[in-house]
Amino acid sequence: MAQYHKTFEAFSEKLRAHTRYLHIALNNTMDEALRITGQIPPSDRILLEAGTPLIKQFGIDAVRALKIRRPDLYVIADIKCADLSEKEINLAQAAGADAVTAVGTAPTATLNAFISLSAQYRMDSLIDMMNIKDPLTVLRELPTQPTIVMLHRGVDETQNNKEKQIPFYQIKQIKGNYSSVFIDIGGGDEFKEIQSAIFNDADIVMVWKAFYQGDSNIPKLTQKFLELVQ
Amino acid sequence: MSKQKLQISLNNDLGTVQSIIGSLPADKRIILEAGTSFIKRYGSRGISLIKQTWKQKVGSVAYVVADLKCMDRGGQEIFIAKNAGADAATVLGTAPVETLNEFIEKSAELGIDAIVDMLNVTFPFEILGSLKTIPPYVMLHLGVEERLHTEKQIPYQDCGRIKGSYTTTIAIAGGETPRDVRRVFFNGGDIAVIWEAINTNPRETTVLANQFLSTLKI
Repeated sequence: MAQYHKTFEAFSEKLRAHTRYLHIALNNTMDEALRITGQIPPSDRILLEAGTPLIKQFGIDAVRALKIRRPDLYVIADIKCADLSEKEINLAQAAGADAVTAVGTAPTATLNAFISLSAQYRMDSLIDMMNIKDPLTVLRELPTQPTIVMLHRGVDETQNNKEKQIPFYQIKQIKGNYSSVFIDIGGGDEFKEIQSAIFNDADIVMVWKAFYQGDSNIPKLTQKFLELVQ
Repeated sequence: MSKQKLQISLNNDLGTVQSIIGSLPADKRIILEAGTSFIKRYGSRGISLIKQTWKQKVGSVAYVVADLKCMDRGGQEIFIAKNAGADAATVLGTAPVETLNEFIEKSAELGIDAIVDMLNVTFPFEILGSLKTIPPYVMLHLGVEERLHTEKQIPYQDCGRIKGSYTTTIAIAGGETPRDVRRVFFNGGDIAVIWEAINTNPRETTVLANQFLSTLKI
């Protein structure tokens, strides 16, 4: 059922308030992404992501292939739009994506066009706040809020700077100002970090690493994460 | 002074991109760019196809820029561009400094030029100051939506500031007329980047490209 948020906030037809979601990002080869996708148990609490490198390597067909393999799952096209939003949103929509991403560091004019076009195309908009110190300053510039705000520590940041922390305290800051925005936490794959995200009231938690360990039992692993993300 | 170049960003469907390349004059001052939305649509094969189409047409190898606008996983993305045959690839100046350093370092290792795209960066000079190595190219950039919906101007003034302190090639994007291209060189830029005129009038490619090229002095 459609969930209409306040007039100044985007609405999601697919995400339910007060529900926690597991966001699984797929980033290596297409074969591997499809193998993992095929083994994920059905759940309306799973968001599957075609990662940026996957899209840049295989094109928007990567999104299409995931959606064809699993039409029952919510699929995010992580296009990380920074400019020319109309062209990129068109691509994602044509490929069957349920949500599409832009970087919070994009010009405000691009973010505004991105949010309103996503809604027009009936897709959820996700703004990725990677490398933004204060996401609220970005959100305050926008007349309409995105469906999802992602607080994100990048892979290169995580690997090359041990001191950078995921700013969990910003979850409450954002929710205090924009109550219907879903908050997605990315960049912390450890169980402890997932627990911290949930404890701090995140709605969505992104994982990827565990799914790429060769001996992973995907259905079991997914179930374990779903239990954590409650 | 470096040679002036015209960078044409290709952002259309595959067939149109091939026909645009077919209609371009065989001029060595042209740099071809696989646009971000083109890469996201076709993946790395789009980059390879641009390279091949130009080679078939001119007989010599084109310099192709992959406009990845990388934001994270610098090493993985630069590898995709290199494998596809790109000669240069872009990373966003707003990306984490760790990503910028990784991207610039890996690109040097792989023998591909890194371009830092200063889209929505207020002080490009500060970004360059935070890097371990200065990239071979810097792009000053007014985004499409910024140009259409705001009063923002192309930051020509940053060109002199950067060149005063660093040895790097500067590309300037955001202008769409021969006058804008002239302005790029007048302000000390080395490469003028255009896309809209040719991508929206692919049938006029030859005429438009010649008009733009006539503004280049060297």
